[in-house]
Amino acid sequence: MNMRSPLARVLGAGSARQGVHHWWSQRVTSVALVPLSIWFLVSLLSLPSFDHWVVSAWMAQSSSALLLILFVLVAAWHSQLGLQVIVEDYVHAAGARIVTLVAITFAHVLIAAAGVLAVLKVALRSAQ
Amino acid sequence: MAEFRLPRNSRIARGVTHAAAAGATQVRAVRIYRFNPDSGENPRLDTFELDTKSCGPMVLDALIQIKAATDSSLTFRRSCREGICGSCAMNINGVNRLACTTPMQELQGDIRIYPLPHMPVVKDLVPDLTHFYAQYAAVKPWLQTRTPAPPDRERLQSKEEQEKIDRPAACILCACCSTACPSYWWNSERYLGPAALLAAYRWIIDSRDEATGERLDELEDPFRLYRCHTIMNCTDVCPKDLNPARAIAEIKKMLVERTS
Repeated sequence: MNMRSPLARVLGAGSARQGVHHWWSQRVTSVALVPLSIWFLVSLLSLPSFDHWVVSAWMAQSSSALLLILFVLVAAWHSQLGLQVIVEDYVHAAGARIVTLVAITFAHVLIAAAGVLAVLKVALRSAQ
Repeated sequence: MAEFRLPRNSRIARGVTHAAAAGATQVRAVRIYRFNPDSGENPRLDTFELDTKSCGPMVLDALIQIKAATDSSLTFRRSCREGICGSCAMNINGVNRLACTTPMQELQGDIRIYPLPHMPVVKDLVPDLTHFYAQYAAVKPWLQTRTPAPPDRERLQSKEEQEKIDRPAACILCACCSTACPSYWWNSERYLGPAALLAAYRWIIDSRDEATGERLDELEDPFRLYRCHTIMNCTDVCPKDLNPARAIAEIKKMLVERTS
């Protein structure tokens, strides 16, 4: 039985004194994704074909490789921030919430690292 | 996890129909949520056939008429009947609003009246607002200063400074906004909700207040403030035409500005 006063329940463990960084990072990454995703779609669609050698030659250009790496990193970061909000909204048990958030972070770091590695492998192999 | 269905004992059963009196000319069906905690029964939806010719124009007039003439056990809060006390906030035809300022004529079809959504129900249309009021108290809705007030007069404020707080201070705490917010439905135990945040904003921008920083500190929290996802149901339903969504956005902006 919960005999705490209504005010004590609202105050809980107090303010976390954080959240502004998360909120602002989400806005900034979304702004960065606007030009990056437009660039990604436009350059991909303006390739003469989607043959393997055409796409890898495009990826091997320094400018494409650089922007692709940025796109992968920013998209992964933005996705991690967004999924965190959804989990915080809907997963109410503290234990399950923290485990899910850690798993999501690991998954996003993995995806981002794999993406960067893939771009580098294609770009550096063709450079030799 | 969030609950997407009502608990078993909250599901609404079919209720009683009270037919209109003989000779009624302008009959309108008013469907009202009924719940009596003493009966041990599930809530039900009663239908009252109301002769709108015999009562005033507002939804509150209909409720008063039904209570007086048909079913004296019908329970609801009301006081000022002019939109200033906030007592008769309820969900009317799917929208949170004040029964006293909602003309029946503006409503399409049958009139459907439920208590404010996602709050514990005390009886019929009376929700338990204890937690909502505690959230208001939590933002310390009073002037906090270190400078003593001038001995011979009140603390002065320019006209422009007063205009900033003029609208936010007009909140009547009816709870229409907070109980219309999905984020508040899922997380009201930790998210303060639009009404409390609007009240916090009203003191944050008060030129006479000297606790702006502490107030912002108390709000900077992933749940207390940042559960607001700019859904803006709050601004949509506010019967006083206030803008809690904007107030929350301004608080978020101030928090960013003080870090850079």
